[in-house]
Amino acid sequence: MSPDAVSGLVGPGRVIGVRSALRRRRSRLGDQAYSALRWAGAGLFGAVVLGLLVGVGSDSSAALQHSGIGFVWSGTWNPAAGQYGAGILVVDTLLTTAVAMVLMVPIGLGTAVFLSELAPRWLSGPLSTLIGLLAAVPSIVVGLWGLLVLTPIFANQVEPFLASVPVVGWLFRGEAYGPSILLASVVLAVMTLPTMVSLSRTAFGGVPLADREAALALGATRWQVVRRAVFPAARAGVSAAVTLAVGRALGESIAVAMVIGNRPAIPESLTTPGATLGSAIVNQFAEASPGIGTSSVIALGAVLLLLTVAVNAGGQALLRSGAGARAHTAGALR
Amino acid sequence: MSVLLAPSRRELVRTAARRSLRRRRIVGTVVQGLCVVAVVAAVAPLVALVYYTVTRGASTLSWAFLSHAPTPPFIPGGGISTAITGTAEIVGLAIVLAIPISLLAALFLFERSGKLAAALRFSADVLTGVPSIIIGIFAYAVLVLPLHQFSTLAASFALAMLMLPIMIRADEEAMRTIALDLWEAGIALGARRGRVARSVVLRGALPDLVTGNLLAIARAAGETAPLLFTLATPLAAMTLLIYTDGTAAFPSAQRTAWATALVLLSFVLLLSVAARLVAWRISRRAH
Amino acid sequence: MTGEQPALPTALAAVAAGPVHGGDTAVATRPGGAQPQSAAPSREGASLEGVPSLTLDSVRVSFGDHVAVRNVSLDIPSREVTALIGPSGCGKTTLLRALNRLHDHTGGRVEGSIKLGDLDLYAPGTRPELVRTRIGMVFQRPNPFPAMSVFENVVSGLRFNGVHGKALLRDAAESALRHAALWDVVKDRLHQPAVRLSGGQQQRLCIARALAVEPEILLMDEPCSALDPIATAKIEELITRLAPEVTIVLVTHNMFQAHRVAGRTAVFLLGEDRVGELVEVGPTAEVFASPRDDRTRAYVSGEVG
Repeated sequence: MSPDAVSGLVGPGRVIGVRSALRRRRSRLGDQAYSALRWAGAGLFGAVVLGLLVGVGSDSSAALQHSGIGFVWSGTWNPAAGQYGAGILVVDTLLTTAVAMVLMVPIGLGTAVFLSELAPRWLSGPLSTLIGLLAAVPSIVVGLWGLLVLTPIFANQVEPFLASVPVVGWLFRGEAYGPSILLASVVLAVMTLPTMVSLSRTAFGGVPLADREAALALGATRWQVVRRAVFPAARAGVSAAVTLAVGRALGESIAVAMVIGNRPAIPESLTTPGATLGSAIVNQFAEASPGIGTSSVIALGAVLLLLTVAVNAGGQALLRSGAGARAHTAGALR
Repeated sequence: MSVLLAPSRRELVRTAARRSLRRRRIVGTVVQGLCVVAVVAAVAPLVALVYYTVTRGASTLSWAFLSHAPTPPFIPGGGISTAITGTAEIVGLAIVLAIPISLLAALFLFERSGKLAAALRFSADVLTGVPSIIIGIFAYAVLVLPLHQFSTLAASFALAMLMLPIMIRADEEAMRTIALDLWEAGIALGARRGRVARSVVLRGALPDLVTGNLLAIARAAGETAPLLFTLATPLAAMTLLIYTDGTAAFPSAQRTAWATALVLLSFVLLLSVAARLVAWRISRRAH
Repeated sequence: MTGEQPALPTALAAVAAGPVHGGDTAVATRPGGAQPQSAAPSREGASLEGVPSLTLDSVRVSFGDHVAVRNVSLDIPSREVTALIGPSGCGKTTLLRALNRLHDHTGGRVEGSIKLGDLDLYAPGTRPELVRTRIGMVFQRPNPFPAMSVFENVVSGLRFNGVHGKALLRDAAESALRHAALWDVVKDRLHQPAVRLSGGQQQRLCIARALAVEPEILLMDEPCSALDPIATAKIEELITRLAPEVTIVLVTHNMFQAHRVAGRTAVFLLGEDRVGELVEVGPTAEVFASPRDDRTRAYVSGEVG
């Protein structure tokens, strides 16, 4: 309904007509200005996104020209020898993320189940706020804590102990220097935990009461309700939570750089140092020789960008699919 | 069919239910125990982080420490004032850059639908997941390389880029939770579209807008990686200082790192708590 | 019990073999002490066929300070359909949920005594899970488990209670689906997702799911209110057919439905203090044609509610 139509209804007299005509003129200009502003805001943001893609792409082009597309998976990263290959780094990145998820997902899920299904109301609120605070801790502080507090503990106590455990100990064999894949994974687990807990909680909360009541009315115990009615319905949401946590872990650079030991080589066990894409960028950037060196570091960034964007897009899609499934069930009732 | 000899199914169910109930309940209790263990494991890192930061940083902390500028290595009496003011400047400028653009872009997304808006929303979602180090590289490529110098402008630009997508999505969500018909009612009464947006939607969404923006700011204030690529000296920001001093081999540097970490942690946690408090207060006053 | 359907083994066994055995049930012989509202014939029917009836005595359900329904004393005779009618908000659903201890999870406090035969539902030693295998429930909106197929839904209650064995589950599923008048519809799509059925079919699936556990009593909370008239008619027919085998307690806001399917009707209304209470109970025909209480007369003639 345009302003013109309304003011036409309201103002019969000519004096009022003139005033409303002026108002109409001003309001149309105001409308246009506002519309232009919004376009500007959106446009600037769009420009930034495009710029990011183009910029990172073009600045890594020198590196790609030098090493070829094999850059992405070739094995050695040895700037001193002029060899630039991201392969090892990708392996280490995936490894640390995988171990981090193995550690974090059970704890995150268990916590989410507790907060959502088992805890009394007076406890679940404050407790989830507390866990949410962990998300606010800057990664540099977590890195500092990992470096100065965890490293000696891991080197002297945790890693030797783990190496002595039967069966699993094989994963942790070898000299424990301290900085290691394992330590990096622990740090990543700590940092991704709040995301997992909060998204999983949301997924559990989104399961309709009707599903739970249906299970209860059939004689199920509380845990059976959770396992058979809540979990299946929350599957998409929990998958989204894990995927987004993975995305976050892949991209974490500073905290990992401080505890992983900066050794771009295939790790023999979880207690040896390594290097991820993010940590290599942090550690190598200052020393990189200008030109090929810097360009290669930027190219690492491009690889990391592609990896995280792919994973995050998948996670967002999973989040949306969870909401879609609910609509489908509701639709059947018509 | 001889039903008299076949055991009644009802009896079967009753017996099975009774027999399995003890096992089912025990399983439930065990799972509950495991979940409690998980909760303890989830809370422990936060407790440990705060504990160590406080115990190792508090002793170095003093008013002098906060107000004095850093001194050359091994000369006592230095502080981190430049880092504190530096962080404030960088974050402040980033806020000035990010909030107007994000608000306008969010209004754009809120009011329009269609392919362009969908593409924009998708890019915002994608951008929230871009690692901060990539943003740092980008800022380096765009503002540092061409101008041949590091600058706080580049740093603010990087932080603003970090905040933008988070703020845009949070703003749009906040606006959507305000009933769409409030906005339409305003338009139907003939008011200017700009005024309708400002007075009705923004005022209604204000608590959530404030919370969302403050949280994004808290997140950006704690970032290190983008600053690595854009700042000339670690003395210009707290996060960088923590990194440089923390990885140094000298205990005195590490002590500075802990103290700075304590300052930063307190600031960020306070901001997060304040964000939620402010939103709670505003929404209470509105009702 | 002849005709197109296979006879429920349980019904025949119960009739032929006498009282049902089992840890927490006993033959329901009512001691003396007449309850003013219940009619004599159905009580005798209960002891004859060995399926216990539900007895409520001064039941009150409250949420914190707010009392939802109070002072309900009522006998639910077995093998009949008892309808609970009344305007919305007068506590019928709240009361229904007290009958299978669902309020353990809603925060409602249930006072008074509810007995299934000799079993006190709220005694400290009584396990709610076991109560719910004997007293099943069908909800207002169909709620099949969305992640399960038709078959998995029907046998889910059996699985919860530790009944396994493929053949057994298959037989139970077929029997339950036949009793819910759904077998012919789904027999070729047993393993398709349950959510693909129409609303009315989903509700019948939920009924089959509840029946598979062989409850003695089936609680139905306005089961047709989310359905179209044709689906409603199918379910009403189903209720009438099931009644001789399973005791049914039906909450409905539709007086005509009560008239169509229920042998006995209990009328609930809101008292002056906005608390629900039982006003009158008796054979349906009497309650509608010659109600004893003025408030009932006002309600059934459409003046009130």
